[in-house]
Amino acid sequence: MSQEVIDQIAAYLTSNIPIVPISQGAEAVVFTTNVHPYEPINAKTSPNDQSTKTKYVIKYRPHKKYRHPSIDRALTKHRTLGESKILAKLSQLPGLHVPKLIATDVYNGCIWIEFLGEDLPDSFGFSNLKNYLWMHASDPYCDDVKKTLIKVGHQIGLLHWNDYCHGDLTTSNVVLHQDNGHWEPYLIDFGLGSTSTLVEDKGVDLYVLERAIISTHSRFAAKYNEWIMQGFRSVYEDEGKKGQQKMKDILKRFEEVRLRGRKRSMLG
Amino acid sequence: MVNLNQYPPKNGRNYYLALGLEGSANKLGVGIVKHPLLPKHADSDLSHHCEMEILSNVRDTYVTPPGEGFLPRDTARHHRNWAVRLVRLALKEAGISDPSELDTICFTKGPGMGAPLHSVVVMARTLSVMWDVPLVGVNHCVGHIEMGREITKAENPVVLYVSGGNTQVIAYSENCYRIFGETLDIAIGNCLDRFARTLRIPNEPSPGYNIEQLAYKCKNKDCLVELPYTVKGMDLSMSGILGYVDSLAKDLFNKNTKNKLLFDSQTGQQLVTVEDLCYSLQENLFAMLVEITERAMAHVNSNQVLIVGGVGCNVRLQEMMASMCRDRSNGQVHATDERFCIDNGVMIAQAGLLQFRMGNTINDLAETVVTQKFRTDEVYVAWRE
Repeated sequence: MSQEVIDQIAAYLTSNIPIVPISQGAEAVVFTTNVHPYEPINAKTSPNDQSTKTKYVIKYRPHKKYRHPSIDRALTKHRTLGESKILAKLSQLPGLHVPKLIATDVYNGCIWIEFLGEDLPDSFGFSNLKNYLWMHASDPYCDDVKKTLIKVGHQIGLLHWNDYCHGDLTTSNVVLHQDNGHWEPYLIDFGLGSTSTLVEDKGVDLYVLERAIISTHSRFAAKYNEWIMQGFRSVYEDEGKKGQQKMKDILKRFEEVRLRGRKRSMLG
Repeated sequence: MVNLNQYPPKNGRNYYLALGLEGSANKLGVGIVKHPLLPKHADSDLSHHCEMEILSNVRDTYVTPPGEGFLPRDTARHHRNWAVRLVRLALKEAGISDPSELDTICFTKGPGMGAPLHSVVVMARTLSVMWDVPLVGVNHCVGHIEMGREITKAENPVVLYVSGGNTQVIAYSENCYRIFGETLDIAIGNCLDRFARTLRIPNEPSPGYNIEQLAYKCKNKDCLVELPYTVKGMDLSMSGILGYVDSLAKDLFNKNTKNKLLFDSQTGQQLVTVEDLCYSLQENLFAMLVEITERAMAHVNSNQVLIVGGVGCNVRLQEMMASMCRDRSNGQVHATDERFCIDNGVMIAQAGLLQFRMGNTINDLAETVVTQKFRTDEVYVAWRE
């Protein structure tokens, strides 16, 4: 990671807010911090405070020197705002788990969100779905995995039923968070998210996830995908006749997308 | 293990000779290359390090008057008229007196415009029968990639292929050049060419080059004309941008003072010049290209970029790409100049000779059918690991 980017954000946040970099994508850099942006320090809101409760995530879109400053400003603002809006709206949907949005500064490209997940035992790394599935590779078809994957499918179903698309569903973009001893999946990174009523977008979403699972967990992919789709269908099946019809459309398009690949063929 | 030496050169020589014929668009190129037969190529992936020697690289471009594009029929006629002269010139420059010495003749199989492709393949078949030299059909995009790799020695780069007919971000994986992102409608070169047509600027030496020169003359670089920014994940779309910037240019020429972006609403004074439009268009389009390239690099964990294709000689694009790479650890940009960026025969000879050395030749003239649609990821890349 480029030191310059870290210096950029450190200068913006000042030394009062210590940050630890955790990952870098093409567009944004992600940090953790212990400081809440507006609550007073030391105010313990929850009595049984765990260490994760006081951690926050900062997603920062650094200034890109290659593009013209006015394009850069407009894009940073537009994308940060878009992601914040989607997060805020999704957190109001009943049953859907996404990290809570805490603060956003669209002009500086900064979003504060709730920190989720923990470190898995035996140094399997952070508790995203990818590491979780690798942790269970010795017993891939156990009940725990099945339950979790059905829940993941359920979350995606809820997202699509409410006409939102994620745009970049992979196993690293699902974080598992312990809740009363059960793993609850949370969808993260809505940088490419959108609202969409098109079956095409939903079909592509499902296809991208299927490909991601096949490429990272190829040996058990068939079963994993089956469980995810089981959870996905359950959302639509609960919605009566209308839900059944919508699901049929999406699954049909999913099948088509699978046959032609993510890209529409450029023939004709 | 890749063994590039399975098929030895003709007549027990210690080098290969290949002739490449390219004519998928308005350029007709003929190139002759030489690969030495080296023991190190017997058991390793050194396809980017063939120690290629260019014996000749000749090209003729069909240039149309300002405001006009090249039509398939006229382009094909141009290629037919020049094919014999260029092949003769190439052989003479290379100092080859007996053309049956050639190991292989390579031609562009696709993608491209139907009629021009066809006139070139007729030439290739004729030469093949006349001199008794086997043919190799080459994918045009793979030709660009292999040429770029050989010239720049980039081992495994993310490739940005930008030309008049194609806009793709490509990375190699498992014997296939996979397309990570591409245009959903028109290619970037097409977008620039068509804008040049609206502006009625000359097509000589190339429309994109003239737009680049106009953009340098822009005096008001701080104030950009706002254009749509249409990146969709790893893909992009350019037809909307072209339509919008075209309408701005037309308003400018017609002195449509109602357009408040171009003319001051009170005084009617002109606020934007043609140079400003060219500058803004370039900045906007190239920012999109660099962004999808950066996404692909993050996706495949690579830090090398190779820019190929006609638009790749644009210095501003190379600058922006270099700036993006500086912000990534150990980022490197590889680009070539107009001799190799713009369609040429050498690139077809280079990719074709690699195919030939892996034994991928055409035995029956019935297999030499050219196709307008031939995707980069349909080619089995046998010469890489």
